[in-house]
Amino acid sequence: MDLDEYRLRDEPYYRAIADELRLFEAAYAERMPLMLKGPTGCGKTRFVEYMAWRLRKPLITVACHEDMTASDLVGRFLLDAEGTAWHDGPLTLAARHGAICYLDEIVEARQDTTVVIHPLTDDRRVLPLEKRGELVRAHPDFALVISYNPGYQSVLKDLKESTKQRFGAIDFGYPDIAIEAEIVAHEARVGRAVAELLVAIGQRSRNLRGHGLNEGASTRMLIQAGRLVARGIAIEAACQVALVVPITDDADIRGALTAAIAALV
Amino acid sequence: MAQRPPEHRHVAIDWLADQPELAGTLELVWRQAQAIFPAERLSDWLRAGRDVADRLGSHAALGFMRNSPSVATAAGAESAFALATALQEIAACAGGGAALALLVAAPAAARRLGSTQAFGEWLRVLRLVADRAPESLGLLLQRTERILATIDLRGLEGWALRGIRAAENEPERRLRYFALIDPLAKHALEQETEGLEFADVERELKAYVTALWRRAPPLRALPGGGVEVPRRISFESGIIRVPTAFRGWAGRGGRELFRAALAHVLAHLQFTPARFPLGGLKPIQVALVSLIEDARVEQRAIAQYPGLRRLWLPFHVADASGAVTAPALMARLARALIDPSYADPHGWIGKARELFFADPSAWQQPGLSRTIGGLLGNDLGQMRAQFNARTYVVEPLYRDDNQGLWDLPASPAPAEVEALQESVRLESREQDTLGGGYGAAGDEPANRASLVPVGRELGIPVARYPEWDFLIGRDRNEWTTLIEYPPAEGQEETIDAVLECYPELVWRIKALIRAAKVSRPVRLTRQSEGDRLDLEAAIAATIDRRAGLAPSAKVYARLERRFRDLSVLVLIDASQSTNDVIGAAGKTVLELERDAATLLGHAMDGMGDPFAVHAFCSETRENVHYYRLKDFDEDWNAVVKRRLAGLAGRFSTRMGAALRHAGRELAQRLSYRKLLLFISDGEPSDIDIADRRYLVEDARRAVLSLRQQGIDVFCVGLDAAGDGYLARIFGRDNVVQIDAVERLPERLPLLYFRLAG
Repeated sequence: MDLDEYRLRDEPYYRAIADELRLFEAAYAERMPLMLKGPTGCGKTRFVEYMAWRLRKPLITVACHEDMTASDLVGRFLLDAEGTAWHDGPLTLAARHGAICYLDEIVEARQDTTVVIHPLTDDRRVLPLEKRGELVRAHPDFALVISYNPGYQSVLKDLKESTKQRFGAIDFGYPDIAIEAEIVAHEARVGRAVAELLVAIGQRSRNLRGHGLNEGASTRMLIQAGRLVARGIAIEAACQVALVVPITDDADIRGALTAAIAALV
Repeated sequence: MAQRPPEHRHVAIDWLADQPELAGTLELVWRQAQAIFPAERLSDWLRAGRDVADRLGSHAALGFMRNSPSVATAAGAESAFALATALQEIAACAGGGAALALLVAAPAAARRLGSTQAFGEWLRVLRLVADRAPESLGLLLQRTERILATIDLRGLEGWALRGIRAAENEPERRLRYFALIDPLAKHALEQETEGLEFADVERELKAYVTALWRRAPPLRALPGGGVEVPRRISFESGIIRVPTAFRGWAGRGGRELFRAALAHVLAHLQFTPARFPLGGLKPIQVALVSLIEDARVEQRAIAQYPGLRRLWLPFHVADASGAVTAPALMARLARALIDPSYADPHGWIGKARELFFADPSAWQQPGLSRTIGGLLGNDLGQMRAQFNARTYVVEPLYRDDNQGLWDLPASPAPAEVEALQESVRLESREQDTLGGGYGAAGDEPANRASLVPVGRELGIPVARYPEWDFLIGRDRNEWTTLIEYPPAEGQEETIDAVLECYPELVWRIKALIRAAKVSRPVRLTRQSEGDRLDLEAAIAATIDRRAGLAPSAKVYARLERRFRDLSVLVLIDASQSTNDVIGAAGKTVLELERDAATLLGHAMDGMGDPFAVHAFCSETRENVHYYRLKDFDEDWNAVVKRRLAGLAGRFSTRMGAALRHAGRELAQRLSYRKLLLFISDGEPSDIDIADRRYLVEDARRAVLSLRQQGIDVFCVGLDAAGDGYLARIFGRDNVVQIDAVERLPERLPLLYFRLAG
């Protein structure tokens, strides 16, 4: 199995903010498991895609959720005409065939689920499939990356200490104004001035983090607003659709955001 | 004008010959009356005057003669006759004094109301008050103008009825209400005021300011909006005072106005670096420097946020028509400096514009305002335009009262400086003086608790508890006496301020509550019934079946929400040592404990878990103080907040007795889980105990016995060196040491969620 469908064919757009490319490459060279921390929509997933492309490795992404069990990661027996057949889960697939396995929003999964990655993330680099009585030795290319949003839920949902300590971590934030504007301009195909305005709006919304919003508008949101602008929507209307209305249901905060946007435009 | 020949007047005066005073007055008002009343009603008017004279005496009749023409001018001729009728009714109910007051108030009211119908309505409301609160009518009438300036008739009726109902059988209280001394009266008045209220938009405004300026200066409502002086927003030493309402600005316009006002103040906070010294400036110069400074900071703010110009412009409505007075010119100048499309022919304004726009880069310097303002002030002075610092009000509406701009001398100032101050200070001067002797009593806000020192005699001994003597290895029975004292009360505002102190934390805890309250669903697998197949179990069952084994029937899964059943008692150590100031914030340990309890209480209130907050300290075994700040069945209300605010640290820490008492309290709860959260800053001690180990061992014994009763005891230690004895008392796993005490308010609620989750 060569995992061809998991390879990225085209170069994903990624604008480096600091030396994260070098850091990732060094960590990958050592096959050190990595944790990407940062708020939603700041570019963690895009970064992993870009790195997978750059390193020319297949990338298997799993979006974690609360109901996820260990078998969803590792694999399970399924029934077919002949009887039962083992199906590798995404983690096993990656470990067996040498892909980068990316567990997105790992804290969403329950702690007892996430412990299955433990043997893969220390120097053993093995994955015991107890149901099958098999010990999968990780392919030399295999690497594990997880993403983690240290948001407000982190008191109730947190990684186990023993999980955390297996990873190196790169902290992501929203990029500087100039860089973020560059990203928005590129991704949304809008002019520099519009992009800068959108970023300024995003910054204002981030000021409300903890004062009514759980998170400010992400770069992703700004890009979406920018795309609407590129389609000829007025900027205030575009921000309503792509930013104000999705981000909160609180009428007061919506009013404040709308007024703040009006002040900037 | 004169519809009747002059001799008619003589007839009328002759007719009043037996009332010489009335006749004299009639001479004076005759012309006016003739102009207002239709010819055929003139004699009715005279008759009404006579009637009043007959029933209420010539004094009232004089008043009627003098004032009714003005009433008729403003509200129609019929109003004068309605007034005459009402006078007699009101005199019958509320006495002659009230009737005279009505006569005095009537012209102003008529001017305000402007129609016969409205005036009639007003009289109807007065009759109502005369009927139900006769003693208060006079006071109400004295304040007519002020009240009608604030609310409309419907509001007046609502407000009056509210006062009557609030003080049904307390004439004294009613008097205070109608004299506008009772805080309830002012509050009710504000509520009846039409227009958008600050309280309705406060949250949105805060978010607006935070979003744009990334800071959240405290916003306070400026009460009494619009009753006397037109209110302006004001800021001083970082606190922004916002009028409770801008009269007549409702809905969207009101919202924009509040926003414009805040944006203006924030522009000052951002771009006015220091207060201007008053120096030798004349009031008019002060006003002009302020105006230029307003324009300067607005220009700079607009450079940053271009949309603000659109926000501010609609409020600039001054134009070149009208009289050339200083305030009018200044309003025009304000507009000329922000509105590029505004044309003004006045030379002075042209000059100001030139000076101001000559060099936009000079806007960086606040000194510019001083220079230009001074020059323009001189010019205006030479034009001899009227300027009265006492009545000057900053225009337009959204701008601040300039109080925050000037470095006003704090000491009692000489008259000249006082006038200067007047030009920048527009404080409401309370005119609540009352003729009667109840003024002093009324000055005290009714809802404020006074601090009553808690005397020893007020405590009630509620229980005696044993104490464990580790030396002899047994309990000393009935050794300690626990006395419950009513907690002292402080200011409720203190507690509200605590919540404001940690906005981010309050928000965060709220989010946690939301998450915790809906109680996370738990997935139950391998169930004998459920709403979906458990894939793993189904496969295992099939494998078993094929392998010839008996398959398990438990192949279903379902989601279930688990609800919590938990009672929590927070026990606060309020001993002398908690008065130590800790950390950079300069707060005492007790204050931090209180903050923590406040945040937790605020959070739990939203959560619905029953909880109590108690505190204790001790002076010898005979007197262990115990305070119930909040009981399980009490709501998180103002009283609880006041008790929390009143908490004071004193005496020693005899933990055992307090723990036993708190435990007994918890044991009576019917909850499945019982949690005792103990916050302490030091090791147990008391003045009658020398052996340090004794009280530690006793406390340990108490904790053990609580645990036997199924109560979880958890300790939050604030003493970094306390590891040894706290672990000894509570067990290693049941102690959390908070190294940075400043973080207690943050940690405690989070800790609670961990324990309770």
